[in-house]
Amino acid sequence: MLLILLLLIPVATAAASYFARRRTVMEAVNLAGFGAIFFASVVLGARVLADGTVSLANGFFYADALSALVILLTASVALICASYSIGYLRDDQQSGELGDDASGKEQLAQLRMYYTLTPLFVFSMLFMAVANNLGVMWAAMEATTLASIFLVTFYGKITSLEAAWKYAMIGGVGLSMALFGTLVAYYAGHNLTGSAALSGLNWSVLAQHSAELDKTSMRLAFVLILMGYGTKAGLAPMHTWKPDAYSEAPVPSAALLSTSTLNCAFYGLIRFYILTSGCLGAEYPSHLLLLFGLLSMGVAVPFVLVQKNFRRLLAYSTIDHAGIMAIALGIGGALGSLGLMLHMTFHTIAKALLFLCAGNVYQHFKTDQFSKIKGSVIKAMPLTGVVFFVAMLAIIGMPPFSLFQSEFLILRAAFDGGHTLTGVLFVVFSAGVFAGVLLLVGGMILGPGGDEPVAARRPWRNGSLLALASTLVIIGFWVPAPLFELISRAARVVSGQ
Amino acid sequence: MLMMPVLDLQFGERIVTLMAALVLVLQIAMVSQRWIVLHIRIFAVQSLLLAMIAATIAWYNHAPHIYIAAVLTLVVKVILVPILFERLVTRMEIHEEIEPIVNVPLSVLIAGGLTLVGYVVAESFYRPDAPGVGHNALAVAISLFLIGFFTMINRRKALTQVLALLSLENGLFLAAISLTYGMPLIVELGILFDVLVAAMVLGILVYRIRESFESMDVSRLRRLRG
Repeated sequence: MLLILLLLIPVATAAASYFARRRTVMEAVNLAGFGAIFFASVVLGARVLADGTVSLANGFFYADALSALVILLTASVALICASYSIGYLRDDQQSGELGDDASGKEQLAQLRMYYTLTPLFVFSMLFMAVANNLGVMWAAMEATTLASIFLVTFYGKITSLEAAWKYAMIGGVGLSMALFGTLVAYYAGHNLTGSAALSGLNWSVLAQHSAELDKTSMRLAFVLILMGYGTKAGLAPMHTWKPDAYSEAPVPSAALLSTSTLNCAFYGLIRFYILTSGCLGAEYPSHLLLLFGLLSMGVAVPFVLVQKNFRRLLAYSTIDHAGIMAIALGIGGALGSLGLMLHMTFHTIAKALLFLCAGNVYQHFKTDQFSKIKGSVIKAMPLTGVVFFVAMLAIIGMPPFSLFQSEFLILRAAFDGGHTLTGVLFVVFSAGVFAGVLLLVGGMILGPGGDEPVAARRPWRNGSLLALASTLVIIGFWVPAPLFELISRAARVVSGQ
Repeated sequence: MLMMPVLDLQFGERIVTLMAALVLVLQIAMVSQRWIVLHIRIFAVQSLLLAMIAATIAWYNHAPHIYIAAVLTLVVKVILVPILFERLVTRMEIHEEIEPIVNVPLSVLIAGGLTLVGYVVAESFYRPDAPGVGHNALAVAISLFLIGFFTMINRRKALTQVLALLSLENGLFLAAISLTYGMPLIVELGILFDVLVAAMVLGILVYRIRESFESMDVSRLRRLRG
């Protein structure tokens, strides 16, 4: 029942927003809807901690600790973004970013699109995390792309059309590879379970019989899945849509894309990783994951170092972190898996916060170029400046923040597991990103700046900012026991222990 | 006596192989096609053949759920998507030819090479002892996938890229029915629903690109760099 509710709330929210006639109603509906989703996700987390797994409708819906963690993270970011976007879009409306027709009808239509598509987008991500059937999981992943294309084109600029086109085409090709992989995995298992039965594609069934799956087929399936879901996760060399889409979408949507969608893509990848390592042993998927992970980290470094635009910088940072997560999964084992789950959690919090700060700066200065801002952020907007700086330190892995701990854990797992070269390259690439982000963002916030007017107070957004920032700081020193239990159980699902 | 060949498994195998070969021929025709409306119609005929293959396999393997997949394919890919795209073409008043990046003879040659690759890959799945009809179609399916991929890279016009993506998806459908007699019905439903929504979403996107750029030449989309 809980799982159904989790899926019904966003659909109902979307429908209500679609038929709402006033902006305030849409805002209220969205806020209430995402609040309810967050509440349901917390209840789901508690249920999973109590019962182990939750399943429904003959195992069609299935949630274990891994699903519960991904859902909890998605719901948290969605709620924060819902409250943030109220302030963000109101400012957009005032400054004429949404078109300046006198009647306000076009603006309302655009807002309606935003407030309808965002719940649908979140719905497809939640669906992905609770679908047991690998084919349905794929359909949900494809739905995330379809729901978010028009969020990328929200401002209707020429560049946003270009970004959306790249996003749609690269994503489409990637996902068709993922579908092929799903198909081959189904073939690998269809000799042991009834081919026509729905349960033949159920992950929980396949995972129990993973040792009996056809080995040649699984080998092919995993490559295809890695390319496919890797495209959605933005692993190099399939990452090229990411900077464009993130810098053109409205900031709250970009925050969702770079945290929740990334997590969902990894969720799909992890499900197949478990099947493949059960069938072929961990070595085969591990080599591939390490290769793509290191490539992503390596590709991110030069683009971070010469970046001129801070929203694109954040996108390259996400590519870097996707690489880190792929490496953590590739190292595997108890330690690597725990590092992966911790990193997923911490990255979600820090990256969402960074995007929201970047949104504040972008709207105040009306530009996303470093060169035009020249470091007056801290004077013009003290709160955003401080929070931005702290989040930036966290994302590059500065101690004592949480990402330092997870990256350190992953690094330790790398050296313990005998992946010395991976460990060394990991450190080198991290240092590159560290230097680039610190110089550029640090300079933008603290550098000697011009005399920009002080920004007005923004209650909706500063509330979201402060909530996320305090979570980020606190979680660096103290992870609540139930959350840590959920994370470590999710890690045990990944490592298969 | 007249009913005999219809029930014969070998006969069914031959029919499926014949239709799969036609599907492949149409895919290569798409590579060399220059007119966008014809491109859409070839896609529709190809999808029709796929629906017929699905129905044939359903008949010979006594798998009723494939009939539903066949009917759904007919509705979505043979009727709805082509109508949608033809209306789009009329509305946008596209007269110009499709200009491939690689010239036509070379494109066809590359498509032939990809077909060969498809057969080599399909070899590893070949089980001579496997019962039923439809295993020959797998090589064609993989070739469709690869050629669709190549067509996407080879074309500059936004709408042709979408058609290539959809024909690539046709390859996956063929692979699904030939490997495992189709995915479970709910998955098939989900996929077709996604295809339909994707066709609509991409159609709107193509229309807006055309409006903003006065062209659907996606090689002009090159402002976002670095």
